Amino acid sequence: MVRLITHNLLACHAKGCTSNNFPLQFKDIQVELREAEFNSDFLRGFLPRIEWAALVDASRQLGDTSLPAEQPEMLDDDFLQKLHHVLLEIHVEEGAMICPNCHHVYPISNGIPNMLLAEHEIG
Amino acid sequence: MGEFYLFAFAQAHEEFRIPELQSIAELHNFTIKFQSEVNVHRPFMILELESEEHARTLARRCILVKAVCEFYARGLSYEELHEQNRARLPKWGCYIPDTSFRFMVTAYNHSIPQARQRAVVEDFSYMGFLGKIDMKNPEVTMICYEEYRDKRGMTREKHEGDGEFEEAFFGRLIEEGSARSLIRKFDVKKRVYYGNTSMEAEISLLMANQTLASPGKLIYDPFIGTGSMAYTTAHFGAMVFGSDIDGRQMRGKANQPGIIRAAAQYGVAGRIVDLCTFDVTRNPWRCGELFDAIITDPPYGVRAGAKRLGRKPRPGKPADDLRSPETIMKNRPDDQPYIPPTKPYELSSLASDLVQLARYMLKPQGRLVFFLPTVTDEYEELDIQTMLCEGMEVVANSLQNFGSWGRRLITIRKATSERFPPPSFEVSSGELEASSLHVPAHKDFREKYFQGFKNSNFEQPVQDNH
Ligand SMILES: C[S@@+](CC[C@H](N)C(=O)[O-])C[C@H]1O[C@@H](n2cnc3c(N)ncnc32)[C@H](O)[C@@H]1O
Ligand SMILES: [Zn+2]
Repeated sequence: MVRLITHNLLACHAKGCTSNNFPLQFKDIQVELREAEFNSDFLRGFLPRIEWAALVDASRQLGDTSLPAEQPEMLDDDFLQKLHHVLLEIHVEEGAMICPNCHHVYPISNGIPNMLLAEHEIG
Repeated sequence: MGEFYLFAFAQAHEEFRIPELQSIAELHNFTIKFQSEVNVHRPFMILELESEEHARTLARRCILVKAVCEFYARGLSYEELHEQNRARLPKWGCYIPDTSFRFMVTAYNHSIPQARQRAVVEDFSYMGFLGKIDMKNPEVTMICYEEYRDKRGMTREKHEGDGEFEEAFFGRLIEEGSARSLIRKFDVKKRVYYGNTSMEAEISLLMANQTLASPGKLIYDPFIGTGSMAYTTAHFGAMVFGSDIDGRQMRGKANQPGIIRAAAQYGVAGRIVDLCTFDVTRNPWRCGELFDAIITDPPYGVRAGAKRLGRKPRPGKPADDLRSPETIMKNRPDDQPYIPPTKPYELSSLASDLVQLARYMLKPQGRLVFFLPTVTDEYEELDIQTMLCEGMEVVANSLQNFGSWGRRLITIRKATSERFPPPSFEVSSGELEASSLHVPAHKDFREKYFQGFKNSNFEQPVQDNH
């Protein structure tokens, strides 16, 4: 935790930050790999929600180059295994996520990202 | 045309029984036919099901089912019961020749003296079973239940009133309810991490069943606290996301977050997808339609007050009380990041916001399962209607009664595939309407709770000590 599935769903939500606010950029991170149980129904169900380019970028940033740049049409087992690994088995434990637009820093500590906004950042 | 099955329920959470049965049937794609005169307050129900397999499925997953039998007979008296049972020979005739068996006689709200238990068994001898009696490992178990009136509050001898039952039931045991043992497994006191907001095990399990939790699903608790419902939901195979405005609730004291430690105890740590700290009314979700269900116990202000980012309007305080962003950033320690000020969040607006949030965040057909505290005497059906919005339908509404107050477990289905915008979390038009037309009994619940539900005028809000 933070897994890439989560990273793919979080956008900066500071006041007025509504464009170029996704994906957040990882900074000074510590990564751990942990095996997760494979469930192809879960992956297929989640696929329509994925921002593919953001996922590929994030995974490459973390040193995993297994995903193709374009989301394939055929969901064969080999592809689902790779997707599974990228979405669920790479955990960012420490570090921060930074908004590419307003540069808000969302710190990650013991695997929990702090997405709270400060007072002056709420709409 | 189905067959009839006799269900015996645990003596708890009466209003939760039917919703739970229906949820598990829906999850497994079968239907239950209820008889026209079901009384949820009675511990026995005869249900019509298409197959014995369905009966077993319910016995294995429903927390409130104690046992499921093939139904043979019922009666206000034993004469009536036996007459019916003789007529059901085609059902039990196959066990006559050489099936090992035992008979059990038991009662609800009563204990039958052994001598009479034996007498009751004797009276079934006309069934003529020829197999051997085996009390330990029989091929079939026949059960006779006597249902007595609730004797709570009355002082009586143990066996007093023996035989004066309301009704008796008879059938062949198919399966004992095995999900009930999960209540012990998820006992809060035996959990490596819990807090004063933790939800008791039985209710956490019932809630998980209302979400239709199963492998492949993604379920969200936006007020996750110490995670009680995350464990039960994950136990049934779902992946779970959690968030809370207060990171300390999710973490506890050790390095590894408390929720992860407790989830590991139950073997489901891998199913906790992630935990995030944020105010759900200021949330960072990039898009909607993510979750199969939302399961939550919103902060209703008794132990953990509802809060949201912002400041309470405090007349007399100068505006420069607000710290500048620079000071805030400079004084921020690394491990415990800046905790912004919060203001109270009134329950009736929280409830309707939650329904709108669920409409945005749920996939079509997804379910929102949550508790709504309410003042028992003031509650009206309309209270629930006022918090609904287009596309959201109530599936179940079960009261857990604590006397002057209670809480209702509400299950709502997103009955639309239309897309809706995220809620604004401003005072909604629905809410304005609600407050001008109908004031639900859960409005200002916290204040009413601390005043003992005496008056309905709340000039002086009670001090928040959280
Ligand atoms: C009743 S408790 C939930 C308890 C949880 N079911 C458990 O097992 O511990 C409510 C939780 O809501 C959190 N909370 C209150 N206001 C919130 C908000 N605006 N956004 C997110 N979480 C909030 C509180 O920190 C508290 O942990
Ligand atoms: Zn931003």
